[in-house]
Amino acid sequence: MKITFVKKIKVDGNPCRKCAEVQSRLEKEGYMNRIDRTVIADERDMNSEGMQLAKQYSVNLAPFFLVENEGKEAIIYTVYFKFINEVLNGQTSEEEAAKDILDANPDLDFL
Amino acid sequence: MSTSEFNPEQQAIEYSDSSPVAIIKLALENFDNIAISFSGAEDVVLIDMATRINPDVNVFSLDTGRLHAETYRFIEQVREHYNLKIDVLSPETESVQNLVREKGLYSFYKDGHKECCGIRKVIPLRRKLTTLDAWITGQRKDQSPDTRSTVPVIERDAAFSTSEKQLIKFNPLANWSSADVWEYIRSNDVPFNALHQQGFISIGCEPCTRAVLPNQHERAGRWWWEEATQKECGLHEGNLKK
Repeated sequence: MKITFVKKIKVDGNPCRKCAEVQSRLEKEGYMNRIDRTVIADERDMNSEGMQLAKQYSVNLAPFFLVENEGKEAIIYTVYFKFINEVLNGQTSEEEAAKDILDANPDLDFL
Repeated sequence: MSTSEFNPEQQAIEYSDSSPVAIIKLALENFDNIAISFSGAEDVVLIDMATRINPDVNVFSLDTGRLHAETYRFIEQVREHYNLKIDVLSPETESVQNLVREKGLYSFYKDGHKECCGIRKVIPLRRKLTTLDAWITGQRKDQSPDTRSTVPVIERDAAFSTSEKQLIKFNPLANWSSADVWEYIRSNDVPFNALHQQGFISIGCEPCTRAVLPNQHERAGRWWWEEATQKECGLHEGNLKK
C-alpha cells in the first residue's frame, strides 16, 4: 500500500488551516511514518504535483489522501477520521470525527 | 430495496428535472427504512408532500438545545398538524457539558461554529443515519452559492456512508428556489415558523442565526462573523481546469 498526503498552499503562500491541522494530528497521533509521500497542491502553480493529482482524481477539497494498492483502483479520502479508521485502523473521538465531517461537508451545518 | 440495488447516480440523471413530489415518491417507494430530516424551517414542505404519499412517514429533527423558542413551538405545531411522531434527537449530555465547561456557552464566536455544530448536530445526526438506509433533506442549490451550488436531487451520501454501508440521500428541493418553496407554502396553507415573519430566512440555532435585510442572501443570516474562512480548504475547480 502506498499513501500520499496532499496538502494545499494557498494563493497567499500560507498552508490552508485544515491541512495544517491534519498534519499536526498525524504527527501527534504517531501516524506520520505511515505516510509514504507528502505532496503540495500549490494554488499559485497549477502544475504543482498536488494540483495535478487533484485534477486527475477530481478532488476539490484539501487536504486529501491518495491510497494506492497494487492491482486495485486508487481510493481518495478527504475526511481525516475516515482515512484513519479505514486505512490505518486507528480510532478518533466522535467529536473529532464530527468536526472532520463538517470540514469536508460545509453544507451540513445548515441542517 | 437495499441501497446496493439502487443506483443514485443513474436516478439523479433520470430525476434531475422532476418535481419534488416525484422525487419523494421515488424515495418512499424504494426505501422503507427512510426518514425526512426536518430543521423546523421551510423544509416543512417536504413533510407536507410526503404525508400525502405516506401519512406515517418517518421524520426526525435535531434539537441542539439552542434553538429559538419559535422553532420548538413550530416543531410541535407540525407534529400536531400532520399527526406525526417526530423523532427529536438530542446531543450527548457529556459532550455538551465538556464543551461548555471547557469553552463556555458561546465558544463559537471565538473558535468558529464547527466544534459546537459537530457536538450538537453532527454526532446525533450520524447516530441516527446509521439506523437508516436513506434520508430526505431540504437542501437547495440556492441556499449557499459556495457550498450547495451542485447539490444533486439524489446522491450517495459521501459524508455518512461507511465502507460497510451505503446511505442514499434525496434532496427533492435541490432545484427549487426560495420563491418556489414559499409559493408552495402559501398555495397549500402549509404552517411555517413564526421567525420567517421577523425577517429570518435560514433558521438554525438562536445564537448563530439572525434576520437579514431585504435582498441580502440568506447565508448572511448564519455565522456572519466567520465568512472569510469559509472557502479556505477548497481546491477550486476553476483553477484546476486552467
